[in-house]
Amino acid sequence: MSTPNPNPENRQINIIDPAFTLNPQPVYDEVLTRYRVAKTIGLNSPVISRYEDVIWALRHPEIFSSEMDMHVGLGTERPMIPQQLDPPLQTRYRKILDLQFSRARVMEIEPDVRRHANELIDQFVDAGECEFDRDFAIPLPCRAFLRMMGLPQEDLELFLELKNGIIRPPIANPYDIAAAKEYRAKTGKRIYAYFEALIDDREKSPRDDMMTYFTKVELDGKKLTRNEILDICFLFLLGGLDTVTATLGCSVFYLAENPEHRRRLAEDPSLVPAAVEELLRWQTPVTIVPRILKQDWELDGVQMKAGSMVSLLIGAANVDEQEFGAGEGKCVHFERERNRHIAFGAGPHRCLGSHLARMELRVGLEEWHRRIPSYSIKAGETPRVSPGIREVMYLPLVWEKGGAA
Amino acid sequence: MKVRVDLDRCVGHGRCYELAGSVFAEDDRGHCLVKRSTIPPELEVAARRGAENCPEDAIVIEEE
Repeated sequence: MSTPNPNPENRQINIIDPAFTLNPQPVYDEVLTRYRVAKTIGLNSPVISRYEDVIWALRHPEIFSSEMDMHVGLGTERPMIPQQLDPPLQTRYRKILDLQFSRARVMEIEPDVRRHANELIDQFVDAGECEFDRDFAIPLPCRAFLRMMGLPQEDLELFLELKNGIIRPPIANPYDIAAAKEYRAKTGKRIYAYFEALIDDREKSPRDDMMTYFTKVELDGKKLTRNEILDICFLFLLGGLDTVTATLGCSVFYLAENPEHRRRLAEDPSLVPAAVEELLRWQTPVTIVPRILKQDWELDGVQMKAGSMVSLLIGAANVDEQEFGAGEGKCVHFERERNRHIAFGAGPHRCLGSHLARMELRVGLEEWHRRIPSYSIKAGETPRVSPGIREVMYLPLVWEKGGAA
Repeated sequence: MKVRVDLDRCVGHGRCYELAGSVFAEDDRGHCLVKRSTIPPELEVAARRGAENCPEDAIVIEEE
């Protein structure tokens, strides 16, 4: 199957091309069959795509490091914990954080997330239409996050503003890098200040919530420092909202365009957990993740230098037929017997919030299809998908008024 | 059939206890616990399903 190894310069992947973000599958196909190492435009790094190569890299942080240069410019003043650290330090933090994000902990808030989903649907179900991203995919994960952290739901708008201030700074010219950096730094300071006030409050008046946990928990006999808590919270704000928003949008976008799959899901809600996994695999909203090489590395005759960036094309790995079966990798099957997709990563950095995300996605899709079983994309409208994390930023849906159960 | 988990490989994806709760459970960090190391015939399918869906290949099945 594999053709002789072409120079990666020959195949440049434009990950910010709207055609790629809307439907990356043709590019995945091409790199998987022809370019074991390709190259990205934008990040200007080699990109590896095969399931076996990507998962190997994810499992070897001593070579493929997550310790990014702090000048990546996400408005942070220090590395985010634990994502931008490597083991063994990263593993120490995971030990105390995993306890708060286990499936069992997440199940405690499931009834509240279900209630939030229904409250959102209440607002538009009778209208017969909504803009899915704005009306459901954005607010639901934010409400779940506030609930998980023990923060007031009234802070929703503030949270969205802070998150967007980092991820999509509202500046006049989106390509003005200096202005974006300045906006992010300013927003970063507000984020630190917001969480700092919460730490003060919980130190004075402890509650039964995650912020209080952070002020009390001990790591090797020592409490977390204020900066450690802030660096954890910063990551939660950036990592916990957009990713689930994007996955909800990508999933419902797919279902709106594939009515036979949508109909099956609406008729048989017991399929939802498997559908969540299969849509995570097929859509892989976090398409690409960066790593920094700790040593010189060679793959398929391509030399990569210590200190340089390598991108892992998770989205391609998730449709690699070597892993998912010839023909099988490229179709969507809710009944897939074996689905080892790596949409949440793998190895020590496996997404901390994966159990929370899975619950939000399952509850979101269950409640949506229970109440709005039949829907489609509004005639004449074209959904838009953002680069980077594939958020369906514009997804106008319509359904028959009063047709819901 | 015998089942064990390699805890050096398990990172807590949780697919095993989600898909085969009769054989696997979660510890308080969400990592895998094998409920019973010797698998009765009626649970062999579940044990294999859990093992096959582990993205880390952390579950080892030994057929007798």
